[in-house]
Amino acid sequence: MQDVTMTVNGREVSARIDERTLLLEFIRDIAGLTGTHNGCLEARCGCCSVEVDGSIVKSCNVLALQANGKSVTTIEGLSPQRLRPAEHITSQSLAGMYEPLDVLGADAGDLHPVQNAFHKCHALQCGFCTPGMVMVLKNYLEENPDPTRDDIRTAIAGNLCRCTGYQHIIDAGMQAAKQLRDDSMQLHDA
Amino acid sequence: MKAFTYLTPSSTAEAVGLLDEYAPHARVIAGGQTLLLAMKTRAERPGVLVSLAGIADLAGLRVADSGELVIGATTTYAALTRATLTGWHARISAVAGNLADRPVRTMGTIGGALCAADPRFDMLTLVTGTGGRLDVLAPSGVRTLMPQEFFRPGGGISLAPNEILASIRFPAADAYTSVTFEKFRQRTFDAAVASVLCAVRVDDAGRLDVIRVAVGAVSPTPVLAERTTADLTGSPVAAVDPDGTARQVVAEVFTGHGDTPDEQYRRELVKALARRALRNALFPPRS
Repeated sequence: MQDVTMTVNGREVSARIDERTLLLEFIRDIAGLTGTHNGCLEARCGCCSVEVDGSIVKSCNVLALQANGKSVTTIEGLSPQRLRPAEHITSQSLAGMYEPLDVLGADAGDLHPVQNAFHKCHALQCGFCTPGMVMVLKNYLEENPDPTRDDIRTAIAGNLCRCTGYQHIIDAGMQAAKQLRDDSMQLHDA
Repeated sequence: MKAFTYLTPSSTAEAVGLLDEYAPHARVIAGGQTLLLAMKTRAERPGVLVSLAGIADLAGLRVADSGELVIGATTTYAALTRATLTGWHARISAVAGNLADRPVRTMGTIGGALCAADPRFDMLTLVTGTGGRLDVLAPSGVRTLMPQEFFRPGGGISLAPNEILASIRFPAADAYTSVTFEKFRQRTFDAAVASVLCAVRVDDAGRLDVIRVAVGAVSPTPVLAERTTADLTGSPVAAVDPDGTARQVVAEVFTGHGDTPDEQYRRELVKALARRALRNALFPPRS
Protein backbone atom coordinates (compact mmCIF):
# COMPACT_ATOMS: atom_id res chain seq x y z
CA MET A 1 0.00 0.00 0.00
CA GLN A 2 1.21 3.46 -0.83
CA ASP A 3 -0.09 7.00 -0.34
CA VAL A 4 -1.07 8.95 -3.42
CA THR A 5 -2.25 12.51 -3.81
CA MET A 6 -3.38 14.08 -7.04
CA THR A 7 -5.55 16.94 -8.14
CA VAL A 8 -8.62 15.76 -10.01
CA ASN A 9 -10.52 18.57 -11.75
CA GLY A 10 -9.07 21.06 -9.28
CA ARG A 11 -9.94 19.01 -6.19
CA GLU A 12 -7.13 17.39 -4.24
CA VAL A 13 -7.72 13.67 -3.71
CA SER A 14 -5.53 11.59 -1.39
CA ALA A 15 -5.75 7.90 -0.67
CA ARG A 16 -3.74 4.93 0.47
CA ILE A 17 -3.95 2.54 -2.45
CA ASP A 18 -2.71 -0.82 -3.64
CA GLU A 19 0.24 -0.30 -6.01
CA ARG A 20 -1.72 -2.06 -8.75
CA THR A 21 -4.48 0.57 -8.79
CA LEU A 22 -4.81 2.00 -12.27
CA LEU A 23 -5.36 5.71 -12.75
CA LEU A 24 -8.76 4.79 -14.20
CA GLU A 25 -9.71 2.95 -11.01
CA PHE A 26 -8.46 5.85 -8.90
CA ILE A 27 -10.63 8.31 -10.83
CA ARG A 28 -13.76 6.16 -10.79
CA ASP A 29 -13.62 4.44 -7.41
CA ILE A 30 -11.67 6.86 -5.23
CA ALA A 31 -12.34 10.28 -6.76
CA GLY A 32 -15.88 9.06 -7.54
CA LEU A 33 -15.99 10.45 -11.07
CA THR A 34 -17.61 7.85 -13.27
CA GLY A 35 -17.64 9.86 -16.49
CA THR A 36 -14.32 8.27 -17.41
CA HIS A 37 -15.33 4.91 -18.83
CA ASN A 38 -13.73 1.52 -18.46
CA GLY A 39 -13.96 0.06 -21.95
CA CYS A 40 -11.29 -2.49 -22.80
CA LEU A 41 -8.71 -2.09 -20.04
CA GLU A 42 -5.96 -2.73 -22.57
CA ALA A 43 -5.28 0.73 -24.01
CA ARG A 44 -7.16 0.12 -27.23
CA CYS A 45 -10.59 1.71 -27.05
CA GLY A 46 -9.68 5.11 -25.59
CA CYS A 47 -12.90 5.44 -23.54
CA CYS A 48 -10.78 6.11 -20.43
CA SER A 49 -8.77 9.02 -21.91
CA VAL A 50 -8.04 11.82 -19.44
CA GLU A 51 -5.51 14.63 -19.28
CA VAL A 52 -2.58 14.41 -16.87
CA ASP A 53 -0.77 17.74 -16.54
CA GLY A 54 -2.33 18.79 -19.85
CA SER A 55 -1.26 15.70 -21.80
CA ILE A 56 -3.77 13.11 -22.90
CA VAL A 57 -3.32 9.53 -21.61
CA LYS A 58 -5.32 6.32 -21.54
CA SER A 59 -5.95 6.04 -17.82
CA CYS A 60 -6.40 2.24 -17.96
CA ASN A 61 -2.76 1.85 -18.90
CA VAL A 62 -1.24 4.20 -16.34
CA LEU A 63 -0.74 3.36 -12.69
CA ALA A 64 -2.27 5.81 -10.24
CA LEU A 65 1.25 5.95 -8.77
CA GLN A 66 2.56 7.29 -12.07
CA ALA A 67 0.18 10.25 -11.71
CA ASN A 68 1.12 10.89 -8.07
CA GLY A 69 1.36 14.63 -7.43
CA LYS A 70 -0.02 15.50 -10.86
CA SER A 71 -3.11 17.29 -12.02
CA VAL A 72 -5.78 15.23 -13.75
CA THR A 73 -8.63 16.57 -15.86
CA THR A 74 -11.53 14.26 -16.64
CA ILE A 75 -14.63 14.78 -18.75
CA GLU A 76 -16.39 16.20 -15.69
CA GLY A 77 -13.75 18.93 -15.55
CA LEU A 78 -14.58 20.35 -18.97
CA SER A 79 -17.65 22.37 -18.03
CA PRO A 80 -18.32 23.70 -14.55
CA GLN A 81 -22.02 22.90 -14.47
CA ARG A 82 -23.52 20.04 -12.51
CA LEU A 83 -26.09 18.04 -14.37
CA ARG A 84 -29.35 17.26 -12.60
CA PRO A 85 -29.89 13.53 -12.13
CA ALA A 86 -32.14 12.47 -14.98
CA GLU A 87 -33.23 8.98 -14.06
CA HIS A 88 -36.63 9.31 -15.69
CA ILE A 89 -35.14 9.70 -19.17
CA THR A 90 -35.41 6.76 -21.53
CA SER A 91 -33.90 6.61 -24.98
CA GLN A 92 -37.41 6.80 -26.41
CA SER A 93 -38.29 9.94 -24.52
CA LEU A 94 -34.90 11.45 -25.34
CA ALA A 95 -35.43 10.79 -29.03
CA GLY A 96 -38.75 12.62 -28.94
CA MET A 97 -37.41 15.58 -27.02
CA TYR A 98 -36.74 18.82 -28.76
CA GLU A 99 -34.11 20.02 -26.28
CA PRO A 100 -32.74 17.10 -24.28
CA LEU A 101 -30.33 19.42 -22.47
CA ASP A 102 -33.31 21.17 -20.83
CA VAL A 103 -34.28 17.98 -19.07
CA LEU A 104 -30.75 17.59 -17.76
CA GLY A 105 -30.83 21.11 -16.40
CA ALA A 106 -27.90 21.94 -18.64
CA ASP A 107 -27.27 24.99 -20.75
CA ALA A 108 -25.51 24.59 -24.10
CA GLY A 109 -23.74 27.88 -23.47
CA ASP A 110 -21.95 26.39 -20.46
CA LEU A 111 -20.67 23.37 -22.35
CA HIS A 112 -17.10 23.09 -23.53
CA PRO A 113 -16.97 23.79 -27.30
CA VAL A 114 -16.23 20.12 -27.99
CA GLN A 115 -19.16 18.99 -25.84
CA ASN A 116 -21.39 21.56 -27.51
CA ALA A 117 -20.33 20.38 -30.96
CA PHE A 118 -21.04 16.75 -30.00
CA HIS A 119 -24.51 17.86 -28.91
CA LYS A 120 -25.19 19.90 -32.05
CA CYS A 121 -23.83 17.33 -34.50
CA HIS A 122 -25.38 14.35 -32.74
CA ALA A 123 -21.94 12.83 -32.43
CA LEU A 124 -22.98 10.17 -29.97
CA GLN A 125 -25.26 7.21 -30.21
CA CYS A 126 -24.88 5.04 -27.13
CA GLY A 127 -22.42 7.55 -25.68
CA PHE A 128 -20.03 5.06 -24.13
CA CYS A 129 -16.97 6.19 -26.11
CA THR A 130 -17.93 9.87 -25.89
CA PRO A 131 -15.92 10.91 -22.80
CA GLY A 132 -12.74 9.57 -24.40
CA MET A 133 -13.53 11.06 -27.80
CA VAL A 134 -14.23 14.46 -26.26
CA MET A 135 -11.07 14.46 -24.14
CA VAL A 136 -8.80 13.41 -27.03
CA LEU A 137 -10.37 15.93 -29.40
CA LYS A 138 -10.12 18.72 -26.82
CA ASN A 139 -6.46 17.93 -26.28
CA TYR A 140 -5.80 17.69 -30.03
CA LEU A 141 -7.68 20.85 -31.01
CA GLU A 142 -5.79 22.88 -28.43
CA GLU A 143 -2.61 21.88 -30.26
CA ASN A 144 -4.01 22.19 -33.79
CA PRO A 145 -7.05 24.48 -33.97
CA ASP A 146 -7.19 24.32 -37.77
CA PRO A 147 -7.35 20.61 -38.64
CA THR A 148 -8.53 18.81 -41.76
CA ARG A 149 -11.01 15.94 -41.49
CA ASP A 150 -8.10 13.54 -42.00
CA ASP A 151 -6.20 15.16 -39.12
CA ILE A 152 -9.18 14.52 -36.86
CA ARG A 153 -9.45 10.92 -38.05
CA THR A 154 -5.79 10.41 -37.16
CA ALA A 155 -6.18 12.18 -33.80
CA ILE A 156 -8.97 9.81 -32.72
CA ALA A 157 -7.28 6.72 -34.18
CA GLY A 158 -6.92 5.37 -30.65
CA ASN A 159 -10.62 5.75 -29.84
CA LEU A 160 -13.12 3.12 -30.87
CA CYS A 161 -16.83 3.79 -31.33
CA ARG A 162 -18.72 0.52 -31.50
CA CYS A 163 -21.78 2.31 -32.83
CA THR A 164 -19.39 3.25 -35.68
CA GLY A 165 -20.68 6.81 -35.58
CA TYR A 166 -17.39 8.24 -36.73
CA GLN A 167 -18.71 10.59 -39.42
CA HIS A 168 -20.67 12.66 -36.93
CA ILE A 169 -17.79 12.62 -34.48
CA ILE A 170 -15.54 14.07 -37.18
CA ASP A 171 -18.25 16.63 -38.03
CA ALA A 172 -18.28 17.58 -34.35
CA GLY A 173 -14.49 17.85 -34.29
CA MET A 174 -14.55 20.22 -37.25
CA GLN A 175 -17.33 22.31 -35.72
CA ALA A 176 -15.59 22.44 -32.33
CA ALA A 177 -12.38 23.56 -34.04
CA LYS A 178 -14.28 26.36 -35.73
CA GLN A 179 -15.86 27.46 -32.46
CA LEU A 180 -12.50 27.36 -30.67
CA ARG A 181 -10.99 29.50 -33.45
CA ASP A 182 -13.88 31.97 -33.29
CA ASP A 183 -13.63 32.12 -29.49
CA SER A 184 -9.92 32.88 -29.59
CA MET A 185 -10.52 35.57 -32.27
CA GLN A 186 -13.06 37.20 -29.99
CA LEU A 187 -10.58 37.06 -27.13
CA HIS A 188 -8.03 38.85 -29.29
CA ASP A 189 -10.54 41.45 -30.43
CA ALA A 190 -11.72 42.19 -26.93
CA MET B 1 -1.59 -8.08 -12.17
CA LYS B 2 0.63 -9.59 -9.49
CA ALA B 3 1.41 -7.44 -6.45
CA PHE B 4 4.60 -5.41 -6.63
CA THR B 5 6.51 -2.72 -4.78
CA TYR B 6 6.83 0.61 -6.57
CA LEU B 7 10.09 2.51 -6.14
CA THR B 8 10.85 6.01 -7.40
CA PRO B 9 14.58 6.73 -7.43
CA SER B 10 15.61 10.30 -8.21
CA SER B 11 19.00 9.57 -9.75
CA THR B 12 20.41 7.01 -12.16
CA ALA B 13 22.91 5.82 -9.54
CA GLU B 14 20.08 5.17 -7.11
CA ALA B 15 18.07 3.36 -9.81
CA VAL B 16 20.98 1.09 -10.73
CA GLY B 17 21.55 0.43 -7.02
CA LEU B 18 17.91 -0.57 -6.53
CA LEU B 19 17.97 -2.84 -9.58
CA ASP B 20 21.17 -4.43 -8.31
CA GLU B 21 19.57 -4.97 -4.91
CA TYR B 22 16.31 -6.47 -6.19
CA ALA B 23 17.51 -8.24 -9.36
CA PRO B 24 16.21 -10.45 -10.89
CA HIS B 25 12.70 -9.64 -9.59
CA ALA B 26 12.87 -5.94 -10.41
CA ARG B 27 11.82 -4.35 -13.66
CA VAL B 28 12.33 -0.83 -14.90
CA ILE B 29 9.18 1.11 -15.77
CA ALA B 30 9.44 4.18 -18.00
CA GLY B 31 6.04 5.00 -19.53
CA GLY B 32 4.71 1.52 -18.89
CA GLN B 33 2.72 1.31 -22.12
CA THR B 34 4.10 -2.13 -22.99
CA LEU B 35 5.01 -3.38 -19.52
CA LEU B 36 1.61 -2.70 -17.89
CA LEU B 37 -0.20 -4.57 -20.66
CA ALA B 38 2.13 -7.53 -20.13
CA MET B 39 1.63 -7.32 -16.36
CA LYS B 40 -2.16 -7.37 -16.73
CA THR B 41 -1.96 -10.70 -18.56
CA ARG B 42 0.71 -11.84 -16.09
CA ALA B 43 3.14 -12.38 -18.93
CA GLU B 44 5.38 -10.19 -16.75
CA ARG B 45 5.24 -10.50 -12.96
CA PRO B 46 7.91 -8.28 -11.44
CA GLY B 47 8.03 -8.09 -7.65
CA VAL B 48 9.54 -4.62 -7.77
CA LEU B 49 9.00 -1.81 -10.27
CA VAL B 50 11.71 0.83 -10.47
CA SER B 51 10.24 3.95 -12.06
CA LEU B 52 12.56 6.13 -14.12
CA ALA B 53 10.01 8.94 -14.38
CA GLY B 54 11.59 10.97 -11.58
CA ILE B 55 15.09 11.00 -13.06
CA ALA B 56 15.50 14.25 -14.95
CA ASP B 57 18.82 13.22 -16.57
CA LEU B 58 17.14 10.45 -18.54
CA ALA B 59 14.67 12.61 -20.46
CA GLY B 60 15.27 15.16 -23.18
CA LEU B 61 17.34 15.72 -26.28
CA ARG B 62 20.71 17.35 -26.82
CA VAL B 63 23.24 17.62 -29.59
CA ALA B 64 26.67 16.45 -28.43
CA ASP B 65 29.91 18.21 -29.44
CA SER B 66 30.46 15.44 -31.96
CA GLY B 67 27.19 16.40 -33.65
CA GLU B 68 25.47 13.23 -32.44
CA LEU B 69 21.87 13.61 -31.30
CA VAL B 70 21.61 12.19 -27.80
CA ILE B 71 18.07 11.25 -26.80
CA GLY B 72 17.38 10.31 -23.18
CA ALA B 73 15.76 6.90 -22.84
CA THR B 74 12.65 8.20 -21.07
CA THR B 75 11.96 10.85 -23.72
CA THR B 76 8.37 10.29 -24.78
CA TYR B 77 7.14 9.95 -28.35
CA ALA B 78 5.13 13.12 -27.75
CA ALA B 79 8.31 15.04 -26.84
CA LEU B 80 10.12 13.64 -29.88
CA THR B 81 7.20 14.66 -32.09
CA ARG B 82 7.27 18.23 -30.77
CA ALA B 83 11.07 18.58 -30.98
CA THR B 84 12.46 20.81 -33.71
CA LEU B 85 15.20 18.76 -35.29
CA THR B 86 17.33 19.53 -38.33
CA GLY B 87 18.52 17.44 -41.27
CA TRP B 88 17.69 13.76 -41.22
CA HIS B 89 16.93 13.99 -37.49
CA ALA B 90 13.53 15.40 -38.47
CA ARG B 91 12.73 11.84 -39.58
CA ILE B 92 12.98 10.72 -35.94
CA SER B 93 10.23 13.20 -35.06
CA ALA B 94 8.14 12.08 -38.00
CA VAL B 95 8.42 8.39 -37.11
CA ALA B 96 7.67 9.06 -33.42
CA GLY B 97 4.60 11.09 -34.37
CA ASN B 98 3.13 8.38 -36.59
CA LEU B 99 2.92 5.34 -34.34
CA ALA B 100 0.41 3.98 -31.83
CA ASP B 101 -2.06 6.76 -31.00
CA ARG B 102 -2.02 10.17 -29.39
CA PRO B 103 -2.61 9.13 -25.73
CA VAL B 104 -0.11 6.28 -25.97
CA ARG B 105 2.52 8.64 -27.43
CA THR B 106 2.15 10.82 -24.32
CA MET B 107 3.39 8.01 -22.08
CA GLY B 108 5.39 5.76 -24.41
CA THR B 109 9.15 6.31 -24.45
CA ILE B 110 11.87 5.58 -26.98
CA GLY B 111 13.87 3.62 -24.41
CA GLY B 112 10.83 1.67 -23.31
CA ALA B 113 10.16 0.56 -26.87
CA LEU B 114 13.78 -0.46 -27.40
CA CYS B 115 13.93 -2.43 -24.13
CA ALA B 116 10.57 -4.10 -24.82
CA ALA B 117 12.30 -5.07 -28.09
CA ASP B 118 9.09 -5.99 -29.88
CA PRO B 119 10.35 -6.20 -33.48
CA ARG B 120 7.13 -4.57 -34.70
CA PHE B 121 8.02 -1.33 -32.93
CA ASP B 122 9.30 1.38 -35.25
CA MET B 123 12.05 2.54 -32.90
CA LEU B 124 13.93 -0.73 -33.32
CA THR B 125 14.04 -0.37 -37.09
CA LEU B 126 14.96 3.31 -36.73
CA VAL B 127 17.90 2.70 -34.39
CA THR B 128 19.17 -0.32 -36.34
CA GLY B 129 18.81 1.35 -39.72
CA THR B 130 20.47 4.63 -38.81
CA GLY B 131 23.21 3.02 -36.74
CA GLY B 132 22.21 4.64 -33.47
CA ARG B 133 24.28 3.60 -30.46
CA LEU B 134 22.91 2.79 -27.04
CA ASP B 135 24.40 3.98 -23.73
CA VAL B 136 23.83 1.42 -21.01
CA LEU B 137 24.34 2.16 -17.31
CA ALA B 138 25.58 -0.71 -15.17
CA PRO B 139 26.77 -0.72 -11.55
CA SER B 140 30.31 -0.83 -12.93
CA GLY B 141 29.89 2.13 -15.29
CA VAL B 142 28.67 3.08 -18.74
CA ARG B 143 29.01 0.95 -21.86
CA THR B 144 27.94 1.89 -25.35
CA LEU B 145 26.44 -0.80 -27.56
CA MET B 146 25.69 -1.04 -31.25
CA PRO B 147 22.11 -2.14 -32.06
CA GLN B 148 23.45 -5.54 -33.18
CA GLU B 149 24.91 -6.00 -29.68
CA PHE B 150 21.93 -4.53 -27.83
CA PHE B 151 19.31 -6.71 -29.55
CA ARG B 152 19.78 -10.45 -29.27
CA PRO B 153 19.58 -12.20 -32.67
CA GLY B 154 16.78 -14.43 -31.39
CA GLY B 155 14.83 -11.52 -29.88
CA GLY B 156 15.05 -9.61 -26.61
CA ILE B 157 17.92 -7.48 -25.37
CA SER B 158 21.33 -8.22 -23.94
CA LEU B 159 21.00 -6.04 -20.81
CA ALA B 160 21.63 -7.60 -17.42
CA PRO B 161 18.81 -7.25 -14.84
CA ASN B 162 20.77 -4.50 -13.06
CA GLU B 163 21.45 -2.39 -16.14
CA ILE B 164 19.52 0.59 -17.52
CA LEU B 165 19.35 1.96 -21.03
CA ALA B 166 20.23 5.63 -20.45
CA SER B 167 20.31 7.24 -23.88
CA ILE B 168 20.39 6.66 -27.60
CA ARG B 169 23.05 8.36 -29.74
CA PHE B 170 22.02 8.99 -33.32
CA PRO B 171 24.67 9.93 -35.93
CA ALA B 172 25.08 13.66 -36.67
CA ALA B 173 22.56 15.54 -38.80
CA ASP B 174 25.02 15.53 -41.74
CA ALA B 175 25.68 11.78 -41.52
CA TYR B 176 22.90 11.13 -44.01
CA THR B 177 21.48 13.28 -46.76
CA SER B 178 18.20 11.43 -46.60
CA VAL B 179 16.47 8.93 -44.33
CA THR B 180 13.14 7.40 -45.31
CA PHE B 181 10.89 5.10 -43.33
CA GLU B 182 8.03 3.06 -44.70
CA LYS B 183 5.77 0.71 -42.80
CA PHE B 184 2.53 -1.18 -43.16
CA ARG B 185 0.03 -1.69 -40.35
CA GLN B 186 -3.52 -2.96 -40.31
CA ARG B 187 -5.00 -0.04 -38.41
CA THR B 188 -3.48 3.36 -37.65
CA PHE B 189 -2.76 2.52 -34.02
CA ASP B 190 -1.38 -0.97 -34.68
CA ALA B 191 2.28 -1.92 -34.58
CA ALA B 192 3.87 -2.52 -37.98
CA VAL B 193 3.41 -5.74 -39.92
CA ALA B 194 6.60 -4.80 -41.77
CA SER B 195 8.80 -1.72 -41.78
CA VAL B 196 11.76 -0.60 -43.87
CA LEU B 197 14.22 2.18 -43.21
CA CYS B 198 16.63 3.50 -45.83
CA ALA B 199 19.44 5.91 -44.93
CA VAL B 200 21.72 7.36 -47.61
CA ARG B 201 24.49 9.89 -47.92
CA VAL B 202 25.14 11.16 -51.40
CA ASP B 203 28.41 13.00 -52.08
CA ASP B 204 28.79 16.14 -54.21
CA ALA B 205 29.53 14.04 -57.29
CA GLY B 206 26.20 12.25 -56.94
CA ARG B 207 27.69 8.99 -55.70
CA LEU B 208 26.38 6.91 -52.84
CA ASP B 209 28.76 7.44 -49.96
CA VAL B 210 26.64 5.50 -47.50
CA ILE B 211 23.54 3.39 -47.93
CA ARG B 212 21.84 1.38 -45.21
CA VAL B 213 18.61 -0.55 -45.42
CA ALA B 214 16.98 -2.09 -42.34
CA VAL B 215 13.90 -4.31 -42.29
CA GLY B 216 11.81 -4.61 -39.14
CA ALA B 217 8.92 -6.70 -37.83
CA VAL B 218 9.58 -9.76 -40.01
CA SER B 219 12.20 -11.39 -37.78
CA PRO B 220 12.86 -11.46 -34.00
CA THR B 221 15.15 -8.47 -34.34
CA PRO B 222 15.55 -5.87 -37.13
CA VAL B 223 17.89 -6.92 -39.94
CA LEU B 224 20.33 -4.80 -41.91
CA ALA B 225 20.53 -5.78 -45.58
CA GLU B 226 24.31 -5.36 -45.55
CA ARG B 227 25.22 -7.55 -48.53
CA THR B 228 22.79 -5.73 -50.78
CA THR B 229 23.92 -2.26 -49.74
CA ALA B 230 27.66 -3.12 -49.80
CA ASP B 231 27.40 -3.65 -53.57
CA LEU B 232 25.82 -0.24 -54.04
CA THR B 233 28.26 1.88 -52.03
CA GLY B 234 30.24 4.15 -54.34
CA SER B 235 27.97 3.78 -57.32
CA PRO B 236 26.22 6.80 -58.87
CA VAL B 237 22.74 7.38 -57.49
CA ALA B 238 21.28 7.50 -60.99
CA ALA B 239 22.50 3.94 -61.61
CA VAL B 240 20.58 2.44 -58.67
CA ASP B 241 17.41 0.58 -59.56
CA PRO B 242 15.05 0.73 -56.53
CA ASP B 243 12.98 -2.14 -57.89
CA GLY B 244 15.88 -4.54 -58.35
CA THR B 245 17.48 -3.49 -55.05
CA ALA B 246 14.20 -4.07 -53.21
CA ARG B 247 14.13 -7.61 -54.61
CA GLN B 248 17.71 -8.18 -53.43
CA VAL B 249 16.76 -6.89 -49.97
CA VAL B 250 13.94 -9.42 -49.79
CA ALA B 251 16.26 -12.23 -50.90
CA GLU B 252 18.78 -11.24 -48.23
CA VAL B 253 16.37 -10.73 -45.35
CA PHE B 254 14.15 -13.76 -45.89
CA THR B 255 16.68 -16.53 -45.62
CA GLY B 256 14.24 -19.41 -45.23
CA HIS B 257 12.33 -20.97 -48.08
CA GLY B 258 8.98 -20.60 -46.35
CA ASP B 259 6.17 -20.55 -48.81
CA THR B 260 3.13 -20.19 -46.58
CA PRO B 261 0.67 -17.43 -47.52
CA ASP B 262 1.84 -15.46 -44.48
CA GLU B 263 5.47 -15.51 -45.58
CA GLN B 264 4.60 -14.72 -49.17
CA TYR B 265 2.56 -11.79 -47.91
CA ARG B 266 5.44 -10.45 -45.82
CA ARG B 267 7.91 -10.83 -48.68
CA GLU B 268 5.63 -8.88 -51.02
CA LEU B 269 5.11 -6.23 -48.33
CA VAL B 270 8.83 -5.79 -47.69
CA LYS B 271 9.50 -5.62 -51.43
CA ALA B 272 6.96 -2.83 -51.88
CA LEU B 273 8.05 -0.95 -48.76
CA ALA B 274 11.76 -1.25 -49.62
CA ARG B 275 11.14 -0.04 -53.17
CA ARG B 276 9.25 2.96 -51.82
CA ALA B 277 11.87 3.73 -49.16
CA LEU B 278 14.74 3.44 -51.64
CA ARG B 279 13.00 5.53 -54.28
CA ASN B 280 12.13 8.31 -51.85
CA ALA B 281 15.62 8.32 -50.32
CA LEU B 282 17.49 8.29 -53.64
CA PHE B 283 15.12 10.31 -55.78
CA PRO B 284 13.23 12.53 -53.34
CA PRO B 285 10.03 13.93 -54.82
CA ARG B 286 10.52 17.64 -55.53
CA SER B 287 8.44 19.74 -53.20
